Amino acid sequence: MALVLPLALPLQPRIRLAQGLWLLSWLLAVASSLTLLCSGHLLVQLWHLGTFLAPSCQFTALPQVALAVGAVALGTGLVGAGASRASLDAAQYPPWRRVLGPLLVAGTAGGGGLLVLALGLALALPGSLDTGLEEGLGAAMAHYKDTEVPGHCHAKQLLDELQLRHHCCGRHGYKDWFGVQWVSSRYLDPGDQDVVDRIQSNVEGLYLIDGVPFSCCNPHSPRPCLQSRLSEPHAHLLFDPRQPNLNLWAQGCHGVLLGHLQELASTLGSMLVVTILLQTLVLLGLRYLQTALEGLGGVINGEGETQGYLLPGGLRDMLKTAWLQGGVDHRPAPEEGPPEEASPKEGLPEA
Amino acid sequence: MALLQVKFDQKKRVKLAQGLWLLNWLSVLAGIIIFGLGLFLKIELRKRSDVMNNAESHLVPNSLIAMGMLACVFHFLAGKICYDAVDPAKYAKWKPWLKPYLAVCVLFNTVLFLVTLCCFLLRGSLESTLAHGLKNGMKYYRDTDTPGRCFMKKTIDMLQIEFKCCGNNGFRDWFEIQWISNRYLDFSSKEVKDRIKSNVDGRYLVDSVPFSCCNPSSPRPCIQYQLTNNSAHYSYDHQTEELNLWLRGCRAALLSYYSSLMNSMGATTLLVWLCEVTITIGLRYLHTALEGVSNPEDPECESEGWLLEKSVPETWKAFLESLKKLGKSNQVEAEGADAGQAPEAG
Repeated sequence: MALVLPLALPLQPRIRLAQGLWLLSWLLAVASSLTLLCSGHLLVQLWHLGTFLAPSCQFTALPQVALAVGAVALGTGLVGAGASRASLDAAQYPPWRRVLGPLLVAGTAGGGGLLVLALGLALALPGSLDTGLEEGLGAAMAHYKDTEVPGHCHAKQLLDELQLRHHCCGRHGYKDWFGVQWVSSRYLDPGDQDVVDRIQSNVEGLYLIDGVPFSCCNPHSPRPCLQSRLSEPHAHLLFDPRQPNLNLWAQGCHGVLLGHLQELASTLGSMLVVTILLQTLVLLGLRYLQTALEGLGGVINGEGETQGYLLPGGLRDMLKTAWLQGGVDHRPAPEEGPPEEASPKEGLPEA
Repeated sequence: MALLQVKFDQKKRVKLAQGLWLLNWLSVLAGIIIFGLGLFLKIELRKRSDVMNNAESHLVPNSLIAMGMLACVFHFLAGKICYDAVDPAKYAKWKPWLKPYLAVCVLFNTVLFLVTLCCFLLRGSLESTLAHGLKNGMKYYRDTDTPGRCFMKKTIDMLQIEFKCCGNNGFRDWFEIQWISNRYLDFSSKEVKDRIKSNVDGRYLVDSVPFSCCNPSSPRPCIQYQLTNNSAHYSYDHQTEELNLWLRGCRAALLSYYSSLMNSMGATTLLVWLCEVTITIGLRYLHTALEGVSNPEDPECESEGWLLEKSVPETWKAFLESLKKLGKSNQVEAEGADAGQAPEAG
C-alpha cells in the first residue's frame, strides 16, 4: 500500500519537529485567545446595538461561529503543546499514544466543518447587516415618540444616546427627522392653530416639522444649537441651512454604525485566517509526529529511521478496507442473535 | 535583650531569602502598577484642566509616579541582594551596603505612607479649584470668537454630556450668565432690546439652558427655552418636572468622579505599603541573621535574627548618645584648633 505524502524522520529531525510543533502550538493558543476576545467584543457591540438591528438580521451568527473556531483552535493548541512536549520524554508519551488519534480526528473534523461554515457566512452576511441596520434605525426613529407604549418606551433614550455617542444624526442625514413624527401627540397642544394646520395638511395625520431632537446638536458649533425651522433660510440670524455648517452632526447613523461594525468584523476575519492557518500546520505536524512514533512502536529515543505519513494507504484502498470490514461485520447477524451484535461495534477498523 | 528575636538555621535562612526574592519581584510589579495609576490620574486631571483653570494640584499623581519608579528600582536591587544572600561568597560584596540600604527603605516606607494619606485627604482643594474653574468656564461659554477661549463652549458641552450634569450647582446657574453670544442676537427684535435694557449690566439673560443639559431619559422632547414659564409649553410644570434636564451640578459630578479615583488609588497604595513594610522587616531579619553567623567557614551553623539589637528605649538612648558624641568631637576639634592657634599668636 502506498503511503500518502510520506516523510523520512530520523531522530534529529523528529526532535526538531517536536520542538517546532511546541512553539507553533503556543502561537496557536495565543492566536485563538485573541480570536476569542475579538469575537466576544464584536458580540458585545452587537448586543448593545440590538435595538437598531432588525430581528431578521443574522449577523450575530458570524462572531458565534468565530467563537467556536477559537475554542477548537485553543484546544488543538493546548493538545499540540502537551503532545509535542511529551514526545520528547519517553516516560510521558504512552498515555498520549491512546488519545492522540481520536483527538486529531476531532480537531480536523471540527476545524474543517467550522471553516466551511465561516466561509459561507462571511460571503452571505455583509448584505444582511446593511439592510438590518437600515430597517432597525428606521423602526427606532418611528418609535422615538412612543415613550408611553410598552415595548417601545426606550427607543427615544437609546436613539438619543446613540446619536450623542457616535456623533451622528438620523439614518443618512438630519433631514430624515423631517419625515418622521418625533414629537409625541401627548405634548401637542390641540388648541394651537399651527399644530392643527400641520396635522390637517398631512395625509396620514402626522405632525411633521422641520426640526430635529437635541441629540443631533454638534458641540463644535460656535453658536448655540439651532434645532427648529431648519429649512427656512432666514429664520435665524446669520444662518443659512443650505451652506455647510457645524450646527448639527453631518453624518448619518447608518454609515457610522456600518463602518464601525465592518471594521470590527474585518479585524475578526484576519484573526480567523491566521488561527486557521496555524491550526492546519499544527494538525499536520502532530499527524506526522504520531505516525513516525507509531512506526517505532512508541519508543521515543529509537535511532531507527521511520517514516511519517498522513494516511496509511491510498485513499481508495482505505475506503475499500473500511467498507469491506463494515460489510463482514454486518452479514452474520441474523443467525448468531443479539449477543454477537456487541462484537461488530468493537470490530470497527482503527484508522 | 534584642527586639523580637528569632532563631535561624541554614534551611530557615535560605527559605527566608527565597521568600523575600519572590516578594521583591512582586513588589516590582506593584511599583509598575502604582506608576501606571499615577500616570492615569495625571492624564485625567490634564484632560479636564480647562474647567479647573489650569490651577489644579498635581501633587498626588506626581508623587505616585515617583514612588512607583523608586519602588521598582529598590526592589530590583533588593531582589538581587536576596538572591545572592544564599551564597556567602556573593553576599560578602553586599555586606557593607545593607545597613544604609535598610535605612533608605524605612525612609521610603514613611514617604509612601504619607503619599497614601494625601490620596485620601486632598479632596477639599480639588473642590474649590473645580468651583472656580467651572464658574469661569461658563462665563466664557459664549466667547467662541475670542482666541484662547474659543474652545470653552465645546469643552463645557462635552463635559455636561459625558458626566450627565448641568451648570455649576444646578441648571439655574445658566440663568445668571449670558451664554448666547451678542453676534447671534437679533438687536432689531423688541424682545431682545427689552431684556438688555432691563438688565443692570446690559447683559442678555434668559431662563434657558444649552442643549447639553438635556436628559435623554425624558419622555418628551427636550425643553431648553423658557424653562420657568409654564404657559409657554403644553402640559408643563417646571416645579414638578424632573426628567427634562440633568439635575446634578457638574462640580458634584466631577468631584465624585475624582474622589472615587483617588480613593481606589489610595487603597491600592495602602496594600502596596503593607507589602513594603513586610519586605523591610524580612530584609532586616535576613541581614541580622547573616551578620550573626559566628563562624564564616561553617555556613550550616545557627544564628539569631532580630529587629533591633537592644529594646526600643535603649536604642533611642544609644542613637542620642552617638549624636552627642558627634557634636562633642566637633567641639574638641574646634578647641584644639583654637589652642593650636593661640600659642602661635602668643
